[in-house]
Amino acid sequence: MTHPLYGTTAIAGVGLRQYRRGASPLPERSTLVEAILAACAEAGFDPAGIDGFVSYGDDKNEPVRLMPALGLRELRWSASVWGGGGGGIAGAFGIAAAAILSGQASAVVIFRALVEGGSGRMSAAVMAHHLNDHMLAAGLVSPAQVCAIRANRLFEHHGVPRGIVEELVRASYHHGSRNPEAVAYGQPFDADMLRHSRLIAEPFRLFDCSRENDGAGALLMVSAERARDLAKPPVYLLGCAQGTEAGWGDLLDNDDDDLYATAGFRPVARNLYAATGLSPADIDVVQLYENFDAQGVMSLIDHGFCTADSAADLIRFENLIADGGRLPVNTSGGNLAQGFIHGIGLAVEAVRQLRGESANPVAGARTCLLAGGPGSPTVSSAIFANSPG
Amino acid sequence: MNGMGGEDEPYWQGLASGVLRLPRCGGCARWTWPAAHRCGQCGSTTMDWQDLPMRATLYSWTRTWHRFGLTEGLDLPFTSVVAAVDGCGIRLYGRLDDPDRIDPRIGEPLSGRIGETRVSDRAIPTIIWSRSA
Repeated sequence: MTHPLYGTTAIAGVGLRQYRRGASPLPERSTLVEAILAACAEAGFDPAGIDGFVSYGDDKNEPVRLMPALGLRELRWSASVWGGGGGGIAGAFGIAAAAILSGQASAVVIFRALVEGGSGRMSAAVMAHHLNDHMLAAGLVSPAQVCAIRANRLFEHHGVPRGIVEELVRASYHHGSRNPEAVAYGQPFDADMLRHSRLIAEPFRLFDCSRENDGAGALLMVSAERARDLAKPPVYLLGCAQGTEAGWGDLLDNDDDDLYATAGFRPVARNLYAATGLSPADIDVVQLYENFDAQGVMSLIDHGFCTADSAADLIRFENLIADGGRLPVNTSGGNLAQGFIHGIGLAVEAVRQLRGESANPVAGARTCLLAGGPGSPTVSSAIFANSPG
Repeated sequence: MNGMGGEDEPYWQGLASGVLRLPRCGGCARWTWPAAHRCGQCGSTTMDWQDLPMRATLYSWTRTWHRFGLTEGLDLPFTSVVAAVDGCGIRLYGRLDDPDRIDPRIGEPLSGRIGETRVSDRAIPTIIWSRSA
């Protein structure tokens, strides 16, 4: 039996506003309103008819406060995925779809907004969610450090070659350099820039890390049937899974030994593939949340695209680029080279790629995996497609 | 922010009095960390806090070079570790004496002493690990 989420809702419009950190011309809520209006405008949808919102990662913009500027008639659904990191991003689409399919809302905006003057540094907000005296005493106060410790275990104990992160970073910058909306637009990048960037927390150097931007992203979701009457070709949600399993979580690094150097996606990927009847071989392009490059590698392993042993065979520049690669990844430049508004740009790119609007189009792409923030205590992933079945 | 006054209060009291004290389920004898009200394996709510020698095995590590907020009390670079405590398998966050910046090796034996970490106006008891000779 087909899963109820399969092809029954769709993204009808996307909006993205991105600026240098600290450089947004508008306050956070206004930036978000502009992104939502952009999503509605390209869909040909009156924003007054939005009746639901979903966010993730402790976004500070309570939906009811958006109503006046958007001219909403009625708010019927507002929800957020638990968890302070980007782990919930894909799960937000499942929550929006659940509202629509159960008749509790009809037009739901999935969003994330981050303007430093409004919400402060995102890394600090993420850590405020997790920090405790055990971490403070060890000097572990940032996502970079927490992920660095897992990365060292991946490389040193599991034998994944350190150099493969360079392949992922180079592919991201290759795409970003050709995307006019990307922070890396027009800029050359080579592995030496990564190797010589300053140390942050070993093994991470600056260019191993995503770096925050100001901005907001918004995606308008409606039923598949309704989407077909709107202006843009629908991009269908085929499936979504969120959560974790015993042995992984907020455990002060006491995760099960065989899960420790993963990104936490094993049960999510299993459930997502089971619900959609799809497998890694069916995925044409991946929008891969990489807070840090090593966590992106772990996420690709967790989602079954390779194993720790075969990672070096898959994760190579020529395989990861849109120009004929086996598994194009982060075709906008991703969090590393497009820009980082807590990952929402990846979801926007998933939609644009499947409409054929990406700056780095993948020929014939039909399906796109959105993999949420790796390493979070709860994570999520979703699969989108440009046809409903 | 949690810490003092939570389920792990005996841990902090232990460090403050100079010993490493960790919880073991009174029902099934499993070591439990983070500290919890109930053993999810056997259902017991009896936790026996036991004193352990400060000996461990290095599980993983990072050396921090960037001045993150809240680390102002530590000189850069500083090295943080996840240490698996011998005899119980519980992994603890801690700091490593690393004056010569020799990269730690996973599996290395460690021995610990109790120091402190200054965070804002507080001094948090901290296990400082050293590579065992």
